[in-house]
Amino acid sequence: MTEDRTPDPPASEESELPVEEPEEIAPAEPRAPGSSVGGGWLLVLVLLAVAVVADRVSGGSLLPRPEPNDQSVSTAFRALAPGALVLVAVDADLGTYPEIRPAVRAALSDLLGQGAGLAFVSVSVEGRAIAVAELQRLRASGVSGERLLDLGYVAGAEAALVRLTTSALPGDVEGPMASAVAAAGGGIGAFDLALLVGGTDVGPRTWVEQVGTRLPELKMVAIAPTFARPELEPYLRSGQLTALLATVNDDAAYAGTVDADTAPADRPAGGAALLAGILIALLVVVRWLLTALPRLRTGQAPAPELDEG
Amino acid sequence: MSGFFAGGPADGVATVIGALLTLGVWAYLLGERRFFRLAQHLLAGLATGYLVVLAVREVLLPRMVQPMLAAPAADPLLWVALLLVAAMAGAQWLPRTVVVVPVSLLVAGTAAFALAGAVAGTLLPQLGAASVAPGLDPAGLVAAIIGALITVLVVLSFLHGAPRTRLVAGAAGIGRWLLLAGVGGWLGFLIVSRLALLIDRLGFLVGDLPGVSR
Repeated sequence: MTEDRTPDPPASEESELPVEEPEEIAPAEPRAPGSSVGGGWLLVLVLLAVAVVADRVSGGSLLPRPEPNDQSVSTAFRALAPGALVLVAVDADLGTYPEIRPAVRAALSDLLGQGAGLAFVSVSVEGRAIAVAELQRLRASGVSGERLLDLGYVAGAEAALVRLTTSALPGDVEGPMASAVAAAGGGIGAFDLALLVGGTDVGPRTWVEQVGTRLPELKMVAIAPTFARPELEPYLRSGQLTALLATVNDDAAYAGTVDADTAPADRPAGGAALLAGILIALLVVVRWLLTALPRLRTGQAPAPELDEG
Repeated sequence: MSGFFAGGPADGVATVIGALLTLGVWAYLLGERRFFRLAQHLLAGLATGYLVVLAVREVLLPRMVQPMLAAPAADPLLWVALLLVAAMAGAQWLPRTVVVVPVSLLVAGTAAFALAGAVAGTLLPQLGAASVAPGLDPAGLVAAIIGALITVLVVLSFLHGAPRTRLVAGAAGIGRWLLLAGVGGWLGFLIVSRLALLIDRLGFLVGDLPGVSR
């Protein structure tokens, strides 16, 4: 068997013959986070931290507080009769909730100040975690248990919303609010207003589609992160949403109109920090454009980002 | 402080843990990935555990098991639900023909609700709101016409592969640019949104943690 094999060329031949090395094509150097941009990120964080501290030390007076462009949220809340039943549908996302938290807490404080009773419900898993935390915070801050009602988590997303329109009360809840809801039919129709806290896929849009079509007389006010504004604005224009808070400025302006004892976590993002961040973001975009445009013009693809996280 | 623990020791511990995890995630920006991965695994583990607890405590026990134990014959649909749950839970071992039943019901039900809602709650009302109606003020009329024009151009940009005249191809090109402009505008909203989150975290670190603003 071994004799049939073609003999290997002697080692000396390999060393004597000139071997043409294949030209290696250097791959585009991937940029790993931390290798070249780490210092830049650190500088950005430090700059923003300075702006945040300046905002906090000045009590937010570095830049003028934004004026509310739209009073429709306050108007909707003021129109409620004392003792009104408000459904707080918490379907926010844990990752983006900090952006709207000041506005949500201001709205809850505003509604409680109007004498409304708040019933919390969630059809998203993350929203339920936030609802539980907010309920606990309200109870810890001394809000009477008779003005709070926990309707819990309802599984099923869109199907859950449809079911809620006729049956919102779990079997184990009791108290004056639960009795009032039961007396009014037991569904979402028993409520005078729904405050929709959005962020997840099952947000204000889904509420409008599933609940708004079945209960068109129910007033719905939405609070959502800024990125959701383009999606929700049409519903406000068409009247399917009564009011909408979906920008940092609007949130800050509305929170400023509510006379509440704000904890640090309830304060909206400071104007100076936000302005500094936007300027930095613009600089990053301009820098990227300056480096990318010549390469795009010559058809050379930009180096890929390395993401092994 | 988080405000969730009424200022007790638990609040302090939660704040410190939150700060350490925030720094751990940010360490990724400086090239340190171990803490970032640890935070990722922690998030995935906690989310899974939370999901299981929520499903058992707030769905399966109160809405299925307890009613069945209290009155087994009261609602036959609960037995059907139990079978579907069992089929989903045992999907790894059961034949595909069995598992496909609950999965199909789930997908079909979700699609039916979502589609009906999208048509009745979004498509028709938005078409009505965007259409040119008598009695519109001049500004509203112009906005409606521009809206309709942009919609038509963007829809044309999705005509891939269909035979097109030069006019339609040009309109589709304009539609593509309008689409890109829309995406760009939405990215602007997204940047502001993420910026607010970053500032919130920085405020948490420089304000809540050392007690600067208490």
